[in-house]
Amino acid sequence: MSLFLGKMRQHINGHKELSEHKDVVKVDAGKEVLIPLFATHSTNFDVFVKAGDHVKVGTKLAQCNDRMIVPIYASVSGVVTDIARKCMHATLKPVAHIAIENDGKYETTQAFAPLDYRQASKAELVEFMKNAGIVGCGGACFPTYIKYSGDAAIDTLIINAVECEPYITSDYKMVEAHMEQMLLGADAMKKTAGARRVCIAVKVSHPELIEQLKQACAKWEGMEVAAVADVYPMGWEKTLVQTILKKTYSRLPSEVGAIVNNASTAIALADALTKGMPLCEKIVTVSGDGVKDPINVQVRIGTSAKTIIDAIGGYAAEEVMLISGGPMMGKTIVNDQFVIDRAVNALTVLRVKAYDDVNCLRCGMCSDHCPAGLQPVRIAQAVNAKDKDMLLRLCANECVECGLCTYICPSRLNVTENVRNGKRQTMAALKK
Amino acid sequence: MKFIYHASPNLRQKLSTKRIMLELMIALCAVYVFTLFYYYTRYDLERMLQAVLLLAVSLGTALLTEGVWALCTKQPVLRYLSSSFGWITAMILTLMCTINTPPFAIGVATFCAIFFGKLLFGGFGQNIFNPAAMGRAVIFACFAGATTDAITGATPTTVMANTYNWLPTTSASFDALLERVGSIWDLFIGWYPGAMGETCTALLLIIGVILAIRKVIDWRVPLIYLMTVALMALVLGLCAGVEELWLYVAFHLCSGGVMFGAVFMLTDPVTSPTAAQGRVIFALGAGILSMLIRVKANLPEGVLYSILLMNMLTPLIERALDGQQVRMRKKAYTITAVLAVLGIALAALLGNVMESAEEKAESLALAAETTTVQEVL
Repeated sequence: MSLFLGKMRQHINGHKELSEHKDVVKVDAGKEVLIPLFATHSTNFDVFVKAGDHVKVGTKLAQCNDRMIVPIYASVSGVVTDIARKCMHATLKPVAHIAIENDGKYETTQAFAPLDYRQASKAELVEFMKNAGIVGCGGACFPTYIKYSGDAAIDTLIINAVECEPYITSDYKMVEAHMEQMLLGADAMKKTAGARRVCIAVKVSHPELIEQLKQACAKWEGMEVAAVADVYPMGWEKTLVQTILKKTYSRLPSEVGAIVNNASTAIALADALTKGMPLCEKIVTVSGDGVKDPINVQVRIGTSAKTIIDAIGGYAAEEVMLISGGPMMGKTIVNDQFVIDRAVNALTVLRVKAYDDVNCLRCGMCSDHCPAGLQPVRIAQAVNAKDKDMLLRLCANECVECGLCTYICPSRLNVTENVRNGKRQTMAALKK
Repeated sequence: MKFIYHASPNLRQKLSTKRIMLELMIALCAVYVFTLFYYYTRYDLERMLQAVLLLAVSLGTALLTEGVWALCTKQPVLRYLSSSFGWITAMILTLMCTINTPPFAIGVATFCAIFFGKLLFGGFGQNIFNPAAMGRAVIFACFAGATTDAITGATPTTVMANTYNWLPTTSASFDALLERVGSIWDLFIGWYPGAMGETCTALLLIIGVILAIRKVIDWRVPLIYLMTVALMALVLGLCAGVEELWLYVAFHLCSGGVMFGAVFMLTDPVTSPTAAQGRVIFALGAGILSMLIRVKANLPEGVLYSILLMNMLTPLIERALDGQQVRMRKKAYTITAVLAVLGIALAALLGNVMESAEEKAESLALAAETTTVQEVL
């Protein structure tokens, strides 16, 4: 906080204790598994299987060949029943899914050859990431290989284990369970990037995890743990880079010599390198006051939300909000048929609470807290006034939809929704 | 099973606008209790009841005006009243008035504040001018001479303005001033006549700190405002050769509506810029204007009009700083620096050209002498 700028971040009660100290429960994928054909806004896939085909865990099902190349692998063994079933995706978009009738045997085929990253060149490693379908598991699902394809000199690789969304603890559970794999994955990333050091960012409010990580890091060269403040959105690349490196960039972290990758992504890469297997299974937090028993579950990609919530004891209320992801950025979905994709790390179920809103009193708390340094209250005014020039001046397109403005608004207005609207208009105006 | 849709995020912080307004009301009540205590101990029960009457009239007028407005615009009255916060305006307005203000004057002022100052602009959150400040300006403009009694006497700012021209340079004249208004300590603890809620600097300071910590007000505004007033008083005093320099600065900070304005008026979020850097510029501008009006204009006090003037400039400040705030910082620094230099330069200029209390007394005496001589002739 300074005289001229607000805090640009805010501590939020994380409710992490609901699920953090309970053991992870394994939930079976159920009779039918749906594999979403979706990768960073693209639904344009080449499908390699047809209905009736028998697939095994690790069979390559499809590949996205748009701007970015992302292969999709089967997470269970069984028979393909449909290759284009339209269902709601966890990102609230209707997406084609490949339906597989799960035979429960989990027969495995090696998806690709493992690779000894110590002997491999940068090009080989980038190619490997691409073929293994490694995508950002933090929520954005961005193909990892793209981050390493650039030419910018990288000094620091930041492994993001911040988990700044309230309620979610799945990254902590992943790191705890697969610490050595994570460090191996991080080391491979470090080698690919040509980075000097690896910085593993964990919230200061998790001292035990930090201690374990410190001990484990001692065995590796150039690895350190950075304890970062328990504020939202510490897990956002820009805030994280600013906190750790004290540098700001405009578009990509590589501008200041940094790459940020999620801890679960590092684990996925390590598994691919050592076992030749893609990401088939992951830990998902199911938490919130709308479930009876908040807990972390280990599930196959493609398991439906309903299967998971039924398996852990069901909802705690008749009316709930079911959110894929955390309460800040996650999408509320009005049925529980959608499935866990690679980037879904939580299901948050909240009881419905009505808030009494009043007029905006122009307190400016949203502007003070916006991590992107925007002025949500002004953007909302511009949206209401339909003032395109003002929207452009206010850089509404730079909003990352973190939700902090709505969270902080004392008048209980849906500020983020207004800014989203402004963002869309600005983007459209910029495209022209 | 029913799934409800709501666009993200789905979490809210505890602090609400209603809470902010409630805490503001409690703070104003604390100031008011001091006022009652002062008038009861220093004067009598009658004077205290007069203070009660004034607040009652103002509150009644405010609620009535908003209630009728809600009825006329076909809105549920109670809900409208509870989210319009008219009583805050009424309380602030009352606390800005002196005890001898006629009740009908405060009633008219409250009506003007609420109706013309707020409702006509579109209600809470839409008004351009601080409604309470507007109401006070109405009293200044329309009821300046109307008083119920004169027992409570002249306020320190009136004495300072009328007799000492805001510039008692020698220690002797400063002592004479303090003799008439009490010590600086009296000014600090509020043991002197003045606008009902503006006197107790110490209490206002404590309340300001608490409100800032509790995020009811933004700490930047009072801090910058008070610093500006102090710095300009210092430069002015220095250039004019004021002997009791620190007491002079303290007098500026502790008298009139400076502290009350800093804590309760300038921090009104509705009428000040929304961005932090905008609020810094806003407070700086208000500080400079307060000082200029105070020492140079035909009024004993400048806080009120400086607030109203800055309210008018708020849209301009907002417009100037529209954009990504980090990238706008340079512009904000530049504006702030220019304003700060301007403020100091003006203070230095005034210090050199203003007539000091002694000079004024001399010229008055001279003028009187001339008149006498002319009469004799």
